[in-house]
Amino acid sequence: MDLTQLALSLKYFIPEMVLTGFIVVAILYDLFLKPETSHRVGFVAIAGLVVTLGMLYQQQGIPATGIFANMFALDGFATFFKWVVAIGAALAIWMSLDTKELENRRVGEYHILILILVLGMFLLVSATHIISIYLSLEMVSIMSYLLAGYLKENSRSNEASVKYVIYGAFSSGIMLYGLSLLYGLTGTGYISEIQAQLVLGQVSPVMLVLVTVLLLAGFGYKISAVPFHFWTPDVYEGAPTPITAFLSVAPKAAGFAVLIRFFNVALSQGDPNTPSWLALPGLDWPMIIAVLSAITMTVGNVLAIQQNNIKRLLAYSSIAHAGYMLMGVVVADQTGIAAILYYAGVYMLMNLGAFFVAIQIKNIYNTETIADYAGLGFKAPWIGIAMAVFLFALTGLPPTAGFVAKFYLFRALVQFGDGFLWLAMFGLLNGVVSLFYYMRILKAMYFDKMEIPEKLTAVPLHFNVLMFILVVPLLVGWMFGDPLSIWAAEAVQFFF
Amino acid sequence: MHALSSYLILSALLFSLGLYTVITRKNAVAILMGIELILNAANVNFIAFSKFVTHHVEGHLMAVFIIMLAAAEAAVALAIILNLYNDHGNINVDEANALKR
Amino acid sequence: MPMVNLSIIILVLPLISFVFQMFFGRRLEGKKGEWISISLVLVTLLLAIIMFANMLFDYQPDFRQEAQFTWLNLGSFQLEMGILVDNITIIMLLVVAIISGLVHIYSVEYMKDDVRYSRYFGFLGIFTFSMYGITIANNLFMIYCFWELVGLSSYLLIGHWWEKKSAADAGKKAFIVNRIGDIGMFMGLMIVATVAGTFNYELLFERIGNGAWAAGVGGLFGGVDPNTLLTWAGVLIFMGAIGKSAQFPLHVWLPDAMEGPTPVSALIHAATMVAAGVYLTVRIFPMLTPNAMSFIALIGGFTAFFAATIAITQNDIKKVLAYSTVSQLGYMIMALGTGAYVAGFFHLVTHAMFKGLLFLASGSVIHMMHHSLHKLGDHETDAQDMRNMGGLRTKMPITYTVFLIASLSISGIPLFSGFLSKDAILAGTWAYAAHIHDGWLAQAHLGWLLPFFGFSAALITAFYMFRLMFMTFHGEPKNKAIFDNMHEAPRLITVPIMVLGALSTWIFFSLPSFNPLGGEGWFHHLVQQAKSVVPTGAFDAETFAHGLHAAHYPAMYTSLIVAGLGIGLAVLIYLLREIDPEKIAIRLGVLYRGSLNKWYMDEIYLHGIIRPFLKGCGAVATFDMEIYDHYVIDGVGRRVKSLATGTGVADDLVVDGAVNLFGIIFQWLGWTLKFVQTGKIQNYLIYVLIGVLMVYLINVF
Repeated sequence: MDLTQLALSLKYFIPEMVLTGFIVVAILYDLFLKPETSHRVGFVAIAGLVVTLGMLYQQQGIPATGIFANMFALDGFATFFKWVVAIGAALAIWMSLDTKELENRRVGEYHILILILVLGMFLLVSATHIISIYLSLEMVSIMSYLLAGYLKENSRSNEASVKYVIYGAFSSGIMLYGLSLLYGLTGTGYISEIQAQLVLGQVSPVMLVLVTVLLLAGFGYKISAVPFHFWTPDVYEGAPTPITAFLSVAPKAAGFAVLIRFFNVALSQGDPNTPSWLALPGLDWPMIIAVLSAITMTVGNVLAIQQNNIKRLLAYSSIAHAGYMLMGVVVADQTGIAAILYYAGVYMLMNLGAFFVAIQIKNIYNTETIADYAGLGFKAPWIGIAMAVFLFALTGLPPTAGFVAKFYLFRALVQFGDGFLWLAMFGLLNGVVSLFYYMRILKAMYFDKMEIPEKLTAVPLHFNVLMFILVVPLLVGWMFGDPLSIWAAEAVQFFF
Repeated sequence: MHALSSYLILSALLFSLGLYTVITRKNAVAILMGIELILNAANVNFIAFSKFVTHHVEGHLMAVFIIMLAAAEAAVALAIILNLYNDHGNINVDEANALKR
Repeated sequence: MPMVNLSIIILVLPLISFVFQMFFGRRLEGKKGEWISISLVLVTLLLAIIMFANMLFDYQPDFRQEAQFTWLNLGSFQLEMGILVDNITIIMLLVVAIISGLVHIYSVEYMKDDVRYSRYFGFLGIFTFSMYGITIANNLFMIYCFWELVGLSSYLLIGHWWEKKSAADAGKKAFIVNRIGDIGMFMGLMIVATVAGTFNYELLFERIGNGAWAAGVGGLFGGVDPNTLLTWAGVLIFMGAIGKSAQFPLHVWLPDAMEGPTPVSALIHAATMVAAGVYLTVRIFPMLTPNAMSFIALIGGFTAFFAATIAITQNDIKKVLAYSTVSQLGYMIMALGTGAYVAGFFHLVTHAMFKGLLFLASGSVIHMMHHSLHKLGDHETDAQDMRNMGGLRTKMPITYTVFLIASLSISGIPLFSGFLSKDAILAGTWAYAAHIHDGWLAQAHLGWLLPFFGFSAALITAFYMFRLMFMTFHGEPKNKAIFDNMHEAPRLITVPIMVLGALSTWIFFSLPSFNPLGGEGWFHHLVQQAKSVVPTGAFDAETFAHGLHAAHYPAMYTSLIVAGLGIGLAVLIYLLREIDPEKIAIRLGVLYRGSLNKWYMDEIYLHGIIRPFLKGCGAVATFDMEIYDHYVIDGVGRRVKSLATGTGVADDLVVDGAVNLFGIIFQWLGWTLKFVQTGKIQNYLIYVLIGVLMVYLINVF
């Protein structure tokens, strides 16, 4: 790759470079701040994300290209996820500035770590070579380990990070071994060339399945699919809540991005830029993923029923949502992928919303137990309404965008053919099961007797603004969801 | 020149050893060592394939990157384990099981 | 597209009023919070007037603007939301805006000190929003959505005083009966969607006309004839109108709906919601086959006659007006069924004005009666019973005058709006009977039933309206104490009714001509006969128009005679007391009692449908409990003893507690699986390996 190519790649890499610049600025800024004022780094971080998004916006209209010698790609698919991730991060940082968990400690590095995480995710969603996938995956993971254990003196946080690091390193190690075998089988690291080699059919199916399974260990860990989800409840419970909120949304979305990219480019025959394509002969990964999806949904929902701690409940429910999104991966055509993209966007909003409400309740009432949410609908009506909208969206009920998102997923599955109708049935059934535990929260908020009714709780204005920002798109998305779904559909057409 | 298969057997052995270590050892640092074994097994694979199959330097490059990354990961992991020690007084991972169910 | 934008604003403002009243209304009660709602609705009135002026300025009969967007893209089928603005839309918007605005103002006084004041205005807001939605919809699906919303608003408003059991029941009844009509409408909509592939009016009519409907039918329902299916579609959609516009046999909810506040009755059950059914029929007119039209005309005509026969014996002032509404709606429906498209819609507009007026004016009387009774400390006497009134014209001159105007209008006396519209309808039935030969009604030579229904109902209408007038406002007051305490209503009540009174005169409708005897005004120019697109046997507008013209004068004279007869009878019996109504009642024994008891329709429904249905439910429940339970318990007992037949146990558990078992499984699963999450990291890692192994093995084998 010569200098002109390098310059061109750099031009396409501007958002990431801007982000890196802001990381450096934040690090330097943090050096001059005392612990009490270290939260100001958060504002720098949000500013950085906003500018990065602006740069992303400027990149609209560029056709799909490979940059840095095709190690990464710049296409609509990656850009969509970059938007989701960056917005999610900005919201999480906003929320972190508010939470009592992080008070009275140095939070400069916290925000810096989040920014690096975002950078890692930007790279992850656009990676098209084995090593870039692995490196960006690890970048995301390592930052997550640190953030999960950020509350150093809190033993739950410690334990969470220990489990996270061991589990994560283990899973990505296995994945790396699988990738190395794949490299050996095909002789190349670029995923499009891997596909070219695999299509020739000279690789033994046994090896192919083995490699796929090893890879699934790694990807499955990132998206919390069963049976690779065991770290999720513990880490989500132990980590500081804004981090949990962020982890449940952004790395998961990025994990899906790389999963989709890998499976649909490397392990398929046919061009993902056409409406539909098939898996490689001898490797029926749609069926594998379908089974995983069904099990994941079910386990996630079933375990969530038993929970009384809201963070753990939301953790298990996020496992279930990963299961739903996997339904879209099963369908090897563009409507399915577009549905996942749409779902990822909506999921970001609703899950963050639910977590943020949990954070605010923790701030005000210092509790994470659902039973203590009794009467919340009347003590803090706006929070109650916002939470109701989020819960409705998470369950997938009208009139929220959550319903539309689930609908698109089911439609993609049903339209694909009769082969996966059973999965759709599973999905619907699970939706009903999830209704139970989501509505339990709603019931606690509105129908359980609370102790002496107090005056209305004072909720900070910026929190209400935040709720507004999250609730309105969910409600508006019910009627006017088209712009997002059109964007998702277009994004899918530019796979590199 | 040994054949490709020798290297692959070596890496498979390393991988298995790594797996075994991670799963059975109670000491957190030992688990970390196991993870390093796994990563290095993959490295051996890359290098071996790079020499015998592709005759290209790509595999070597990947191995270098992975080594670097393993170092970074180890650093972070050790920091976290140190934190665990400060908290629990030992680094027995079995003792860290408060978060469950 | 400015008109479309205006209509969107008009649509949204009442919704804002609703949201505002729901969230902040309570705090602003007593601080003029309701004026925010009123201002919002008055703004919509202003915008509607602007649109109306625009329309008059253009003076084009085929004015039309449309805009839409896709709501849900389902691949082969798009669900759209869209707005259609044409002359009919604008007129209807104006009607709704006027009545809603006046009712809002009126309610300030009428509902003063009510226990749920702000909520009332909020619900008025959402009702107005839904009604606007129906008006501007450009496709059947969107109308259906707003249709349901209107039904909901009606339920909420009827049951405003839900402490009163009769009011709560009335709300439920309205909603349920409406729902029955909606089932038919939904089926009709589904037929339309399946065969024509679209809900949009324009596209639908196009596809019916150019053969795409016939093509779309294909082999559905075992190769049904496309025309028959089209008839069914029309009739089924019309069923929604039967429910909403209280036609026989789904009219039973309207009289009960009088339990709601009188302004609500004026707004919803006189002027707008019930007119929605007529509006729907107007919109789908082009797709109605002759058979469908026959059905519609017959229902309308029968309802007009039937309801009028009940109204003559009622003693509650609002009940008379309720049955009158049902009857007048019957007129409108009959008009549409006979093809007198313009006349039907025209009557909708004039009826909205004078019926709204009648309700508000009677509300004025009732309101002052309540005040009077309150002063006397009397909480027993019914303020709405005409037998407690009498001679009120001296005490409430304004109310009396506008009431008189409205009664003359509804009876079809020249110089009033009702004359113009009613006359047109009657002429239409005459023309239909004489000239139209399509459709089963005409082919069975039953066409003359319609003019019969029409004219006799006119006679009865005139009679009962003036009966009401005389009993309430003339003669000696039945109760001196109450009478002495009565006085004219405050301005917030009298001004709205005066506005409506003015609108019930002929001048506003006959412009640019001043001829009070009919002829062509702006209305007839701007609203023209819709063309039927039915492929075979389409409604022959030309012949009908000729017939209409020919029948105009004969119908007018006959209707004048009939109205005169009715008024004369009322004068004889109730004003001059020449004939004693009591004696007639006894003479006509059965007929009197039947009429007074609404021909026992409610009782028929109760004993004929509701009780049997509930009994059926009870039977199923008993069967379930006695037989299944008995069987299962015994069975379980027996099978537990014989463990060898374990399959029998499982079988019975499935039969008995399938649903419970499902839930229990999930609970148990969750509980057990919890234990997998041991907290020990290495266990987790082992699970990873097991998972990898399992997936691999399953795949390889």
